[in-house]
Parts: sequence; structure tokens; C-alpha cells
Amino acid sequence: MADSDEDYIATDDEEIGAHNISKSGRHRGAGGAAATGGSGARSKNGSKPGGGAQKRERWEDIKRSWDNVVEGEDGSLSSTVAGLLEAGKRKRLLKDTTPLQRGIIRHLILILDLSSAMMEKDFRPTRYLLSLRYACDFVREYFEQNPISQLGVLGMRDGLAVRISDLSGNPVDHIEAIGKLRLDEGKGAPSLQNALEMSRAALFHAPSHGTREVVIVFGALLSSDPGDIHQTISHLVEDKIRVSVVGLSAQVAVCRELCKRTNAGDEGVYGVALDDKHFRELLLDTTIPPVTRSAKMSASSLLMMGFPSRMVEKTASLCACHSTLTKGGYLCSRCSTKVCALPMECPACGLTLILSTHLARSYHHLFPLKNWVEVPWKAASKSTHCYACQIPFPHPPAKPEELSAPAKTATGTSVSSRYACTICHNHFCIDCDVFCHETLYNCPACQSSVPKGRISNGARGRSDPMEVG
Amino acid sequence: MDTVDASAHYSQSVDEKPSLLVLILDTNPYAWSTLSATLPLERALASILIFLNVHMAFSHANRVAVIASHTRSARFLYPTTTSTTTAAGGSGGSEDPFRDANKYRQFRLIEDQVQASFAELMRQTTASELVDAKETMMAGALGLALGYVNRLVRVDDSGGVVGGKDGAVGEVTSMNARILVVSVSGDLAEQYVPVMNSIFAAQRKKIPIDICKVAGETVFLQQASDTTRGIYMQLEHPESLLQYLMMCFIPDTATRRHLVPPTQVNVDFRAACFCHKNVVDIGFVCSICLSIFCTPPEGAICTTCNTKLDISALGNFGGKPAVVLTKKKKTKKLKQSKATSFSNEASATSTPGTPAS
Repeated sequence: MADSDEDYIATDDEEIGAHNISKSGRHRGAGGAAATGGSGARSKNGSKPGGGAQKRERWEDIKRSWDNVVEGEDGSLSSTVAGLLEAGKRKRLLKDTTPLQRGIIRHLILILDLSSAMMEKDFRPTRYLLSLRYACDFVREYFEQNPISQLGVLGMRDGLAVRISDLSGNPVDHIEAIGKLRLDEGKGAPSLQNALEMSRAALFHAPSHGTREVVIVFGALLSSDPGDIHQTISHLVEDKIRVSVVGLSAQVAVCRELCKRTNAGDEGVYGVALDDKHFRELLLDTTIPPVTRSAKMSASSLLMMGFPSRMVEKTASLCACHSTLTKGGYLCSRCSTKVCALPMECPACGLTLILSTHLARSYHHLFPLKNWVEVPWKAASKSTHCYACQIPFPHPPAKPEELSAPAKTATGTSVSSRYACTICHNHFCIDCDVFCHETLYNCPACQSSVPKGRISNGARGRSDPMEVG
Repeated sequence: MDTVDASAHYSQSVDEKPSLLVLILDTNPYAWSTLSATLPLERALASILIFLNVHMAFSHANRVAVIASHTRSARFLYPTTTSTTTAAGGSGGSEDPFRDANKYRQFRLIEDQVQASFAELMRQTTASELVDAKETMMAGALGLALGYVNRLVRVDDSGGVVGGKDGAVGEVTSMNARILVVSVSGDLAEQYVPVMNSIFAAQRKKIPIDICKVAGETVFLQQASDTTRGIYMQLEHPESLLQYLMMCFIPDTATRRHLVPPTQVNVDFRAACFCHKNVVDIGFVCSICLSIFCTPPEGAICTTCNTKLDISALGNFGGKPAVVLTKKKKTKKLKQSKATSFSNEASATSTPGTPAS
């Protein structure tokens, strides 16, 4: 109880703070900022402005998790629980898999809210600590997915934008810089405008062939800005910077507009986290390279890159990038300067140095694996085991009426627990489905047999009887 | 069971997890036939079976899986699905494999199944399909192996790893898994992307890929072991395969921290260009599809994705050097030659990021 009381007071303080700002007139655009804070608070109270009156808001529909659970035939919950878990996995999985042109070379600024709103404890241990932890995960995942991209981190605290780490391609630097914030705590009010202006300046030099993006983790319901934020948004649009926001408390009107205008009307990039898992999901979703919407968004160009070979030395020597003694490293293909890690821009001649594996890491964004389809019972008898992990499948039911059930159940899972690749028609379990689409990005069955045109009679042996129709 | 010998007293049981070994055997008959003088496939298989038994003998909880990467298919040799298991029982002959008193049952089971399914695989391979079959389905085999590892290693069968999916800090797994590839044939260029995807998946799941290179040359597998921190061993004497296996590949991931395992020092990371398949040191990369070219493509149009590329940022690389015309007409010749040499130098050192003026 004590906790919730504290929380309530904290939000109260915030609102008072926002009003104070508008009254004091310290900032020119404070009225606008207070209005945004106010709108967030207003929608939190449930009294909506005219437009949203017909539609019920999310929090008005009460969801009780125990309503979803129905006792199975044997009186236990295990089958229902397993079904729910499978449905959850499947839901996460089904994405659009049309190959789209994506901005593979990205320049992204991550803005963390370090204001007093982040000291709330609705996310455990606090919003502040949790967002720092997820920010580290974000950095790691970002460089896994986009090895030749750049990242910078900013913070918003005390009405100022604070530089946490510069735009660079080394994940270790960012994680260290974010780690140092742990000792601190959130203070003051955030300023979206200051942070956006600073990231605009940081992204000014980003080359035209790359994307310019900003990801904001926003915990507060207000923004205390020195000027007109709408002007800043217009500048962002001009500079082709896309902004996506992960909100932690409630939807804020100005964030919505910010996302909408910088993403050509697409509001999907603004999400408000329901719980910590959802927060992580929202944040890590931004690590996937964004779709290029129009030719104007990014110019295509030819880049010169060096592919150095690794060398090993008998004695240690200084590397040009960190001035540390290392035995071995990579020599720049143009000027033979020694660097200790890749990818990197050669400190001497500025050539981008990468490994061919870094390029290969991005290929799966360009050639995504197609979604697999549910298998009806009729076709299910063709397989007894998952093709990849050899887990046995349930047997088809004896009753004919069950056999003719549609392939997709109400929860979106496959009625026979089998999922078939649309190209090779082999069957997989849900776990392999998730693994292949989220980690492997290959279909193991397609890769382990020669394409049909080249097959002579029965060359595929065991995989033959699994083919559908 | 494992701590029954009281060794737990002095050896801090840091990592007492059982280990899973997935062995991928490259069974390309062509490649093995060239080795027939030193190491016939049957002998290699016998050595591998002994090696698997050793692995199983370490702990009763250890598991193995054997996958054949054949010319046109990749499939499990062990464990196999039920249909083949019964076949194994049949081919085992009169005696019941489960009741042989002279052999540890697990050993027996694995040996019988591997041999039976291997015989089945060879039986299905006809001479006609071997025509021109130099390839091996390494990408598929790696995919199967990773899928199998993924299922066995997961902590919680209900899939609810708290704190999100892979990459989460302090993710616990129930087993230490590793993949060992016994490879005899070379690379397949068309498998590049799937093999690379498998390598990155293994890296994310922290599964080392060990390479036991009996013959042939492969850059992909070198990169695989280097990226996943596995062991790479090129056999100098293929006939002593068993000894190599026992000495290099038996320690599991927990033990390796205390050893200096053999690795490949010089890994070839250079890229081959898409246009002429030349190995390049400095290449040109299309920013849209990441195709690599050794020279800027004709008309600055990417041959892979047909995009018109902007090559102005290259700073006139490979083009004619810009000549600054001087105003004074008298000493034109002399100055021009000077200017030429100067701008030549400038364009050579200009960086791709900054447009040369």
C-alpha cells in the first residue's frame, strides 16, 4: 500500500511541476509543454476530448488472465497453458515477410529519459534502472543486427540534453557509458526539444546513403522546452530524421505527433509499454532496419570499403585506434595502419574497414524467411516428427469430424501442432518455427535438399513421403 | 550420480552441466574416395563411434546426435525417427540389442542406429545421382543441428525464459552444447548466405562449432570456428583420425577454459567480389543490397539490385584526375603538369566520406 501511495504523490508532483513551469514563464514554449503534459494526464483520468469518445480505450476493457484458462478434459490446466504459450509464440512470430528495401547502414541516436519521472517503481526495480538495463540490451542487439551502423546515446535530465556517448560503431563504449549512469538517478524534467535538437546536430554529418533515426525512451508525461517543439519537428522532417518513441506511462500527444510527422504518417512506431516484457519488445523492435519508404529517404551510393586480413605478431605493438599494446590486429588495406577491432573507420586514412562476415550478417534482413503455415489434420499424417528437432508430433485424431477441422485454431496456432514451410512442405514444431525465424533465418529442410528441378527419382529419401499433395 | 566420487569437495563444481555433442559427418562419397588410401569411410566411422562412446562415458547425462551431410540431403543418423529405429532393430540381426551383457547399452544403441541409418543412406545413394555431385549439404546439416540443440538445451520446456529471449544477461541453459563437423569437401558458393546465417545463430546461442578438417579447403568453416570460438584442426595425418578426435575435440566447453585449444590463426576474411569473383582488399559496396564490386560497376548501376548508385562520394576514385587550369598562359604547360601530379595525389588520399573538391 505504501508503494502505491508514494506513486500517487509522485505523479501529483509532476503535474504541479508542469504547471509551475508554465506559470513562471521561464521557458517561452512552456505553455505548449504543459499542455502536452496535461493531455497525458487528462487521458489518464478517462475524460477524453470528443474524438475518442466512441472508441473504448484500452484500459476500459478489463482483461482477467484467469478468464482465458479453461479446464481441460482431464481436469488439469496443462493443455490450456501449453496452448496459450504456443499462441503467444506464434503471435510474436507472424510478421510481414515481403522482402523490402531497408536502410541497412543506420545512424541512430538513442535518447534516454533521465528525469525524475523515471524514479517511479511501476517497473521493477525502477523505471530508471530497468531502462538502463534494456538500453544495454538494445545496444548489443543493435550491433548484432546492424554491424556496419553507428549509434549514439543521449540523456534528458534537468531540462537539458546530456551527451552520454558519441556516435560510434563500438558497442563496448556505449555499454560502458550507460553503465556509469547506474550510480546516478533521475532528476528534473525532460526536454524533448533540447534532446531532439542535439540529436539533429549529431546526425547532421551522417552520409546520405545511411538512415538517420532517433529512438526515445520516454517516461515522463511532460516536456519542458525552451522553444516551440513543433518547429523542431518540422526541422526533423526536413532533415529526414525518423523518430520512434517508447513511452513508459501513458500516451503523450506531442510524441504521437512527433512519430507521425517524422514517419510519413505512420504511428506504429510510437508504443506505450504495458509491462517490462512489452517494454523490452518495443525497444528491441527498433533494432530491425527500417523500411525505405521512398527513394528520397536515402540516397543509394557506392561505398569504398577495405577488407583487411588478420595478422598475428610475435611482439606487441600499439594500435592506432586505442593506443593500447596488442599482439595482432588488422592492417588497413590502404594505409597499413594497425587497428585492433573491426568494424572501424581507419584512424589514419578514413577508409571503412570491415570483415565480409559483417556484411553477411545483414543479408537476412534483405532475404527474409517466409512465414510457415499451419497444417490441417488431413495433411498431418505425413509426418510424425519435427524435421529439425525430432520431437514427436501428436497423432491425428480418430474421429473424422475432428479431421476436417480448419488448420488454424482460434488462437492462431496450428490444429495439428505442425507448421509447414511453404517451399519444401516439411513439418516443424512451434519451437523450431520460432527459432528458424528469429535466430537462424533459414529453413533447415530447404537447405538440406536439392531444389526440386534437379532431383532424379527418389533422391531425397526420407523427405519424400512428407511432401504435401 | 556424478558427484559420487566425492571429487566435488575440492573441485568447485562451477559447471557440472551435461554436454551435448552434435556431430556432423560430411559423407560426400567423392571426397571420401580420394581419401580411401589413408582413411576409408568405414574406418573413419568406426573412429567416430569410439569417440562418441568416449563422450557418452563421461557422464550418463551426456547426449549425442549424429547428422550426415550428404551430397543431396542432410539427415539425422542418430537419433532417428521411429521408422528407422525399427529398421535398425531388424538389421541388428537375431540378438536383441538391449540384452547384450558385454556392452554398455547406450554405446550399443548409438552404434547400431548410426550404422543402420548410415547403411540406409548409402543404399539410397545411387550411382546416377552422384554424377557431378561434388557438394555437401553443410548449411542444412548445420540448421538441423542448431534446431536440435535449441530444443535440448532450453531450460524450460514451456519456453518461458524470464527476461526475454536470447541475448539476455545470465541466460541459463540446461546443457552445454557443441557442434563438431568432420569435413572432407570444399565450400559451396551458393550456400554462403545460409551457412553464414547458421554461424551467426550458433554465435548468438553460444554454441561453438568445432571443425575437424580431414581434407579439402573451406573458408566458410574456418570462419565458423573463428566466429563461434570453436576449435579448428587441419589433420596432417588423416589415418590417425581417432587420435586427433580424442586429443583435440573431447574437452567440452567448460573444460576448454582451462586449456589452450588449437585454433586457426590466419582466417581468410577477405571478400570475393560479385562481379568477377576476385578476392579483394578494397572493394566497393552497394549501400542498398551490400553487393561487393572490385571496380565501380558500369554506368554506376548495381548489378544485383539495379539501383542507380551515387558514386560522387568516392572522390573520383579510378577516374581521370581533375586538372586545375591556370590563368597565366605563358607558363601553362609547366604549371599544368604540376597541377596534374598534385591532384592525382589528392584524389588517391581522399577519403570516401569526404568529397574531393
